[in-house]
Amino acid sequence: MTVVEAIGLYKSFGPVEAVRGVSFSVPRGEIFGLLGPNGAGKTTTIRMITGLLRPDRGRAFIMGIDVHRDPVRARSHIGVVPEVSNPYVDLSVWDNLLLIGKLYCIPKETIIERGKFLLEELGLYDRRSSKAKTLSKGMRRRLLLAMALISDPEILFLDEPTSGLDVFSARRIRSMITELRRNGKTIVLTTHNIDEAGMLCDRVAIINKGKIIAEGTPDDLRIRYGKYIEIKVSFDNSIDSSVLNEFRDHYNVTCDERWVTIICEKNELDEVLDKIMNIKHRLGLRIKDLHIESQSFEDIFVRIVRGE
Amino acid sequence: MVAGISDYLKKIWALSIKDMRLYYFKGPTIVMGIIMPMFLWLAFMIGSSPSMGSAVAMLLSISSFFAASSITPVILPWETRQKTLEMILARPITIELILLGTCLASMLYGVFVSLVIIVIGIFLGVCPANIPVLIVSILLSSICYSFMGLLFSAIPSDVPADAVLLSSVIRMPLIFISGVFVPINRLPAFIRPLSYISPLTYYADVINKLYIGNSAFNMGIDFSVLLLLTIILGIFTIETNRRTIIKRL
Ligand SMILES: Nc1ncnc2c1ncn2[C@@H]1O[C@H](COP(=O)(O)OP(=O)(O)OP(=O)(O)O)[C@@H](O)[C@H]1O
Ligand SMILES: [Mg+2]
Repeated sequence: MTVVEAIGLYKSFGPVEAVRGVSFSVPRGEIFGLLGPNGAGKTTTIRMITGLLRPDRGRAFIMGIDVHRDPVRARSHIGVVPEVSNPYVDLSVWDNLLLIGKLYCIPKETIIERGKFLLEELGLYDRRSSKAKTLSKGMRRRLLLAMALISDPEILFLDEPTSGLDVFSARRIRSMITELRRNGKTIVLTTHNIDEAGMLCDRVAIINKGKIIAEGTPDDLRIRYGKYIEIKVSFDNSIDSSVLNEFRDHYNVTCDERWVTIICEKNELDEVLDKIMNIKHRLGLRIKDLHIESQSFEDIFVRIVRGE
Repeated sequence: MVAGISDYLKKIWALSIKDMRLYYFKGPTIVMGIIMPMFLWLAFMIGSSPSMGSAVAMLLSISSFFAASSITPVILPWETRQKTLEMILARPITIELILLGTCLASMLYGVFVSLVIIVIGIFLGVCPANIPVLIVSILLSSICYSFMGLLFSAIPSDVPADAVLLSSVIRMPLIFISGVFVPINRLPAFIRPLSYISPLTYYADVINKLYIGNSAFNMGIDFSVLLLLTIILGIFTIETNRRTIIKRL
């Protein structure tokens, strides 16, 4: 069952076309990632789907409810942690939770029970009476996550949940995300951290300049775009770059003082290695070091975004 | 339907409690809310020597106006700055509910400050002629002033000082043209039309009637115009804020 659906969303801010026809749908229980560089339109897309911004064109649905026709009902099914946001710094951790709970009209006992569980889970229970302004950045993020979860929402929207956090805080949030998924929740997150997307997401859509340019599971994308490998070789003597001309026609070659780097398709590996050995024998060089690597998800991402 | 409305009321109440705790019912704010109009009032008292009744009436006329429209304009720009606005807007609420929550908090603050002054008046031996009518006029005018305060926050700026500046520029002259210190019929003719569209004029008129027994208009006119102005300001405020709030994200 599809729980989040975006159909042909467009949004411009004056001359800036921030989002240009974004469509996707997310089935229940999936972690869906919107991955893209700065300014790609991730936040704008999330804001349109959560009903904060009205799209110039297109529609968005949450649990089948048109977000712009009935934003209150649509939002009662979701929890959101916006990219840049704060709890009320002059309210205590606990009062922040209580306030949000009341906005979902949850009975007080339920708020208390869930609030206690969430704060314990996120390591904030000891700080429940502290004002939010005394919390560190990582703690504030966790409090915001707790606030988004207080209504036990079906769907969670997280705009860059871990950016700017240290590894420990980031891990804590990631483990909460996977835990939520295990309980059948649907999560839509944005990130420009490729490893995070590869690690967490069941499916990612790569967005650039307001358009989705690739979509699939991280493995899908690796297979589809990751057919390239990188061969790095280091010789004992520096070589004249003209020697490499015979590679240049077919492959992407770069060379610095230490490394000659050749990017080729997997099935060309044998041929390329032959050529390298050829050069080695011809010039009487010795190979000092050799690396052969499949491209990382990051390389693939860069490649897709550049439109290669 | 009924459940829907009661849910909305609960949400407005929760938002307004937040505003009262964070902005209105804080020591310094309360002290300021009473002291500011007090100074203005004292400045007028010195030199003229009105009866105790009209002195209390004057203070009462301006204090709820000051109270309900002073902090109110700052809240939205402030919350934009603090990055709490998007966080709260992402909940199952609407801009209207946020504005009504603030309006309610601001009204209750205005009522509170007025009550303090009424009680002081009673200790000084000055009693209003009709307490229920007084209460209704305070409630209605405080709502009206709160909407006015919220209107100032519709300027698309996240610098709280901008809203303060704009509201001061408009609030101060309003006090002088509304028949609080100088009766309307003694104002220059070209100013009078402005007096007739100031809500403060009609509120001050009710207060004068209740405290010193003389007034410029019939009580029915006072309340009708006040209600009309409240409705117009309310609609206008909500509409303009709806437009700017999108720019605050
Ligand atoms: N309120 C706004 N007013 C004007 N321009 C905006 C506004 N919001 C976004 N933009 C523009 O729209 C484009 C997309 O911005 P958006 O914030 O959606 O990108 P993003 O993918 O979230 O980037 P980041 O990774 O930096 O958060 C950018 O060019 C940005 O400058
Ligand atoms: Mg963003």
